[in-house]
Amino acid sequence: MKLLTHNLLSSHVRGVGPRGFPLRLQATEVRINPVEFNPDFVARMIPKVEWAALLEAADTLHLVEVPKGPIEGYEHDEKFLRQMHHVLLEVRTGPSLASLATAG
Amino acid sequence: VEYISGKVFFTTCSDLNMLKKLKSAERLFLLIKKQFPLNVSSVSKGKIFNEMQRLVNDDPESWLSAISIWKNLLELDAKEDKLSQRDANPLKRKVEENDIINPKKLKTKQMQELQESRECQLEKQMEEATVEQGDFLTNREKSQEAFQNDVVKAVAAPNQKDLTFRVSCRCSGSMAKTFTAQEVGRVIGIALKKQFGWKADLRNPNLEIFIHLNDIYSVVGIPVFRVPLASRAYIKTAGLRSTIAWAMASLAEIKAGALVLDPMCGLGTILLEAAKEWPDVYYVGADVSDSQLLGACDNLKAAGLQDKIELLKVSVIELPLPSESVDIIISDIPFGKKFKLGKDIKNILQEMERVLHVGGTIVLLLSEDHHRRLQDCEPGGIPRNSKGSHTDEPGIEKCLNPGGKTDLSDTVSSSAETGGQGDLDKMPPFGSLVPVDHYRVSLGRTGAFICRYRKSPSSG
Repeated sequence: MKLLTHNLLSSHVRGVGPRGFPLRLQATEVRINPVEFNPDFVARMIPKVEWAALLEAADTLHLVEVPKGPIEGYEHDEKFLRQMHHVLLEVRTGPSLASLATAG
Repeated sequence: VEYISGKVFFTTCSDLNMLKKLKSAERLFLLIKKQFPLNVSSVSKGKIFNEMQRLVNDDPESWLSAISIWKNLLELDAKEDKLSQRDANPLKRKVEENDIINPKKLKTKQMQELQESRECQLEKQMEEATVEQGDFLTNREKSQEAFQNDVVKAVAAPNQKDLTFRVSCRCSGSMAKTFTAQEVGRVIGIALKKQFGWKADLRNPNLEIFIHLNDIYSVVGIPVFRVPLASRAYIKTAGLRSTIAWAMASLAEIKAGALVLDPMCGLGTILLEAAKEWPDVYYVGADVSDSQLLGACDNLKAAGLQDKIELLKVSVIELPLPSESVDIIISDIPFGKKFKLGKDIKNILQEMERVLHVGGTIVLLLSEDHHRRLQDCEPGGIPRNSKGSHTDEPGIEKCLNPGGKTDLSDTVSSSAETGGQGDLDKMPPFGSLVPVDHYRVSLGRTGAFICRYRKSPSSG
């Protein structure tokens, strides 16, 4: 799955009662899948990102060049957007069909 | 544009490619005749057969011109293929065409005008795709000059005699009680043979004639495409009807950058239709069935949409998504006895409500049972949908904008009647989900409702 999805799923886990489940990422399971860059789309995804979860994931997967957070005027910053595009949409973890067990 | 219970009649000057893009229509026909229904009540069968024959004989011109247009449409279509193959063979084109060329531009425009004074208004203009080859252009220009002076004659061209045809007939309403489709088909077929000298070929005809007779109208048309519009090139295995799926996605008002979820996606038909039309959107599909998800995965790959749509094996009643994270939910609630009305539906809706943003939209396809149940549950209560007023097909509306002017073709659409009186429903049925409107649709044998809800800011 895309890191964007992983981010969405794992941010659900944080601090929310019974619906937690493990979403461990394995560094060995990473693939890079080129995706056409669409700056508008990426810009719109930025507000949805849970940065703590993202940074943790990036760390686990040993990703480099990951912005630490949204910068001022990111909507027009192509470098920033391209980095985020790569991280969120092109990095794939695990099998393409995610099977998630809900615990508890 | 005119719509009558299940059919939309419109005129257009768009070309075949544009017409192919009509998404909420099942099939597209070129109209030959549309008139008042045949009166079945007290008249003898023989007399009615005469009436049917008159459909053919009264107005042969309209038949011929319709067929002419149809032929031209097909030729243009074939020609576009040729163009893309860069096959410069303009001399093969038939004499009937009247071409206007602007050699300065790279685009080659072909205008075809048939003057028709009949009711059917068969006036059509067609544009061809851009021609990029300079050489090709000059070749065509030369041949254009040769043909430039030929005038289009809509009436009896000699090569129409060797047409083979087949008549397909549908009778409903009181017509169906008196006649079988075969009888009608036969009568019309014989009349056509007599009038135009065509030969019948049941297996592989050049021309198919469709006739639909019911209590509201008598309609005759020629199918424009061999394959119904509803069968999409990009969907390998369809679950829900593609036309309904598209209509639902359309109602959801998907904006770029939205997060769209289908928590019971099955084979992913809704997401596919949506992703095709609104690509800059983040789509997530979920299902509990492995086989369905595998099918969906296949579909995504076949359509080339794997990057746009994410698939998860999770349950709709326990979505691993943060609250208020989703902008739009579109789903086809499974019909059938497995889903006990009441508790299950309630859980599903609750979970959907939880993950939905305030201001977000939910579009659901509900069986008549589900819909009735939900209506009964609602404290405010939606007034029962008694009369259907004219059909309101948002999908069709949007599609017909391409040409500026409109001329005539005939579309058969999945029927939809507005029943929703959203203004009257102030009481939200489930927490903060407010019904906006609902539309009755036909799924072939059964009917269903497309219901739209919006999440309002909750009080608590």
